Amino acid sequence: MTALARSGVLPVTRTHSRHRGDPMRWVFFAVLLAVTFAIMLPVLIIVFTAFKPASEVNAFPPTLFPHQWTLANFEAIFSELPFGRLILNSFGFAGGVTVFALVFDSLAAYALARLDFRGSRILLIVIIASLMIPFQATLIPIYQLVSQLGWVNTFAGLIAPRAADAFGIFFLRQFFLSLPRDLDNAARIDGASEWRVFRSVVLPNAVPALLTLGIFLFVNNWNDLLWPLVFTTDQNMGTITSGLTLLTGPGGIIPQGVMMAGALMAVLPLAILFLLVQRRFIESVATSGLK
Amino acid sequence: MTTQNLAPSRPYRPPAQLGGRTPLNGTFKRRATIVGFLAPALIILAAFVGWPMISALQLSFTDASGFGTPEFVGLDNYLRVFSDTEILQAMGNTALYSVLFTPTAIVVALVLALAINSPRLPFRGFFRSTLFLPFIVSLAVAAFAWSYLLDPQIGLLNYWLQAVGIRIGNVLQDPNLAMPTVVLVAVWKNFGFYMVIFLAGLQDIPTSLYEAAQLDGASVWKRFTNVTFPMLSNTMAFVVIVALIAALQAFDQIYVLTGGGPYRSTETIVMQIYQSGFKDLDLGFASALSYVLLIVTLLLSLAQFLFFGRRSKDINS
Amino acid sequence: MKKLIGVVAAAGLVAAGLSGCAGSSSDQASGPVALTFWHGYTEADGGVLDDIVKNFNASQSDITITTQTKTWAVIDDTLLPALSSKNGPDIVAMTSDRLPVYAQKKALVDLDDFYGQSSSNTSALKAEAVAMETVDGKKYGVPSGFVPLSVIYNKTLFAAAGITAFPTTWDEWVADAKKLTVDSNGDGTPEQYGLALPDHATVGNGVWPSLFEGNGGSITSDDGTESTIDSPENVETLTYWSTAIQNDKISPTGLDGIASDNLFKAGKAAMEVGGPWMAGVATSSNIDYGLAAIPAGPKAQAASAIGISLGITAQTDARSQQAAEKFLAYFNDKTTATKWSLGSGWPPLRTDVSAADVSANATVASLTEIAPNTVALLPGVVNSTDVLTAIDTATQKAVAGGDPKQLLSDASTSIQQALTN
Repeated sequence: MTALARSGVLPVTRTHSRHRGDPMRWVFFAVLLAVTFAIMLPVLIIVFTAFKPASEVNAFPPTLFPHQWTLANFEAIFSELPFGRLILNSFGFAGGVTVFALVFDSLAAYALARLDFRGSRILLIVIIASLMIPFQATLIPIYQLVSQLGWVNTFAGLIAPRAADAFGIFFLRQFFLSLPRDLDNAARIDGASEWRVFRSVVLPNAVPALLTLGIFLFVNNWNDLLWPLVFTTDQNMGTITSGLTLLTGPGGIIPQGVMMAGALMAVLPLAILFLLVQRRFIESVATSGLK
Repeated sequence: MTTQNLAPSRPYRPPAQLGGRTPLNGTFKRRATIVGFLAPALIILAAFVGWPMISALQLSFTDASGFGTPEFVGLDNYLRVFSDTEILQAMGNTALYSVLFTPTAIVVALVLALAINSPRLPFRGFFRSTLFLPFIVSLAVAAFAWSYLLDPQIGLLNYWLQAVGIRIGNVLQDPNLAMPTVVLVAVWKNFGFYMVIFLAGLQDIPTSLYEAAQLDGASVWKRFTNVTFPMLSNTMAFVVIVALIAALQAFDQIYVLTGGGPYRSTETIVMQIYQSGFKDLDLGFASALSYVLLIVTLLLSLAQFLFFGRRSKDINS
Repeated sequence: MKKLIGVVAAAGLVAAGLSGCAGSSSDQASGPVALTFWHGYTEADGGVLDDIVKNFNASQSDITITTQTKTWAVIDDTLLPALSSKNGPDIVAMTSDRLPVYAQKKALVDLDDFYGQSSSNTSALKAEAVAMETVDGKKYGVPSGFVPLSVIYNKTLFAAAGITAFPTTWDEWVADAKKLTVDSNGDGTPEQYGLALPDHATVGNGVWPSLFEGNGGSITSDDGTESTIDSPENVETLTYWSTAIQNDKISPTGLDGIASDNLFKAGKAAMEVGGPWMAGVATSSNIDYGLAAIPAGPKAQAASAIGISLGITAQTDARSQQAAEKFLAYFNDKTTATKWSLGSGWPPLRTDVSAADVSANATVASLTEIAPNTVALLPGVVNSTDVLTAIDTATQKAVAGGDPKQLLSDASTSIQQALTN
């Protein structure tokens, strides 16, 4: 959107100043703050439990805040798990899937949204239909294929089956459809190839969609439990999410404080990533925001 | 600019003189371009989605267990799907879950997206980040947090509410309340993602449309129904379909919260697929059940497409 | 098909770009046999087991075993895909409720010949523990764990209620539980419960089977083909305990095993039926605890077992199978068995290892004393999931006020169906 605004297609409006001193916006703010607190309550429980000693986690009466703050749970993570290695693997796996899928999905989505060709609608329906089979049904055939390729316990085996996905293609196709065609047609009149239109006109204007899909792919793969467990039997190839299962004690008993600390550290990279990315959203909204 | 691109049934056609389809169509170069754009994704999808799907379809006509040689059993697995009372109950539960989850998640996501997209809201960045957090925390810890809240004896929520004289029961073990509770947690876990999709869609709406509407004296609600909603239709079509697919495949959130109980009242189709495939080692039956689910999902999605196609036409005219 | 191979090959090229190291070890016909062993012992017990494997590797030069630690749930979720491509373990430890399914689907090899050899050291194994390895008359594993459920109690709360000796019969148990149940504000909902008695998804699914057994009841006939859940004894048992919960409020309703653990950890329940690991959990929750046998029912003292089995998978060739059997024989040896028992905190699996032999570990010694009355849960029953779900439905509904006779009769219909299928 910033690109569109800069290129003069969209009027640039500064909206912030107009609302200064509007009393209703603070009522609005207060209401949303209350809603946000309710939504955040489970997250706060996770955060504060990570700082509780084991004796407090299930103590009665229950409390949100620890009486006695401790870092023992975090220390346990580092002593019981090869934390650095697991985080690195998570970045390799989730990052790899995200990069490949963004590239391949956007190419295919562009073809489906812009290059009208015979059979494109059928192809789209087939692609969407492939989302409708639960992955539990295809996991074993996928595993057998990966195994025949000799890719069990490799990044290739983790990443390749997800290097393109129907969800991303469908999502980007919908987004590309919404982009005004005037720009790419102007470029085509100037003699630009489809590849150039895609790279220089459509992609720069689709940044919010690409970021959204990127976050989705990264978060989902980062948090995926069964996939890395099935495709890597070697503990050196495990991800942080699959590694945390090893904290489970006998009888399936989970040391909750340690687990929350582990989850918190596992989620930290995701939270930081989202913070960075959402600034990008705000920048574009600031120039074209709703009124 | 103001033309509606109402997907996916009617792709936008550019004015003829700008040539979308005509000039290159049919030429070798154009075909090569199309193939070039599609090939990488389609190769991956064919190998790792298409082939496994065909393989699962083959399995659905056998008694495969994953070990030994499977034997052909014809339609037996499919007949079992429709004669098994547990499966039929799971289908009912899945339908109820979908009916509750899909609209709730979409409405919550859309309302919050509109709220935090409004420039009138102070500290928007804070809200954007915090509201997205439930989506990024892993399910196992989210399940712990919810049981810490909801436990009827030692839960935080109950403890707080008891101070003001309210006592909530054991919501996850009450056959009437377990499903709504599970839906609530699922909405909590997933709305953030739909919200972000709506945000991305909202940013694609040209400001000029709102200005024009404002000049015409349209109210906030009118601006929503006449500008925002129609301009979001591509996004909405996408969100509705993916939320519906997600609902029909509900598994892990329920699995960690209730395990399907009490009395199978929250057991879904995919839980049955998991049980037959990974616990009973009955891959043939699990595959057949998966294909039944696929066909039901496909029919519902097509109905959805038709519905959205018609609605957009109404808005357009 | 040609097209498909082309597609797969092309996908291979794409992914080969990503592949840093794609190497898989191939079997050698000569040299030492390399075996992998998956187990779910994640605590100190895992260290002891790894140690036993290390000693085995050092004791001879033909076989090298590598262990991989996963949780029990993870082993169960990943074993099927791994074995379906022959990438799985050669030896696998699994919870005993899962063994019959894998055995019936031919994922595990039949060990009858192994049991027949005196060198297998299997003759001294407890018969009840071996029963859980038997499916359709054949043995598919050796036990690596057979632990009775026991009662863990909060000594502080017992002292406050003036109870000095742990109850030994059901009536004493309920009477003590009543004394330990405190409703100080008189609102009808106790603030402290005498007992956390889960009504579904109980620890090892064994709480109710233990109680049924205590009154002379059972779930199935000995050969596992007929449902016996609706016997008059079981109706009596279910009535007895649901009355105690509803009328005397000794336990909350709707608990599962995890909620019971949490209640005990919070000090809100004075007693709980649990596995031996609850000792460690209680310690970390600062609870002064004692362990005791489940009090005797009118007919017997009985406790359902938490069982773990070691099996050899069907992906092994003759040579690997032989090597794996050598390890199992080593594992069953009296010295190793004693070491394993002491190190893991689980009672010994051999009848010739006495409580005195394991007196170095007080928990093991006390568990060993109650171990003779341990019974395997649903041995040889393939479809145990549906059987257990049927029991859970009956117990949960009865505790919530349903009619035990009718509920057990319904459960019996479901169980019979599950056993026949």
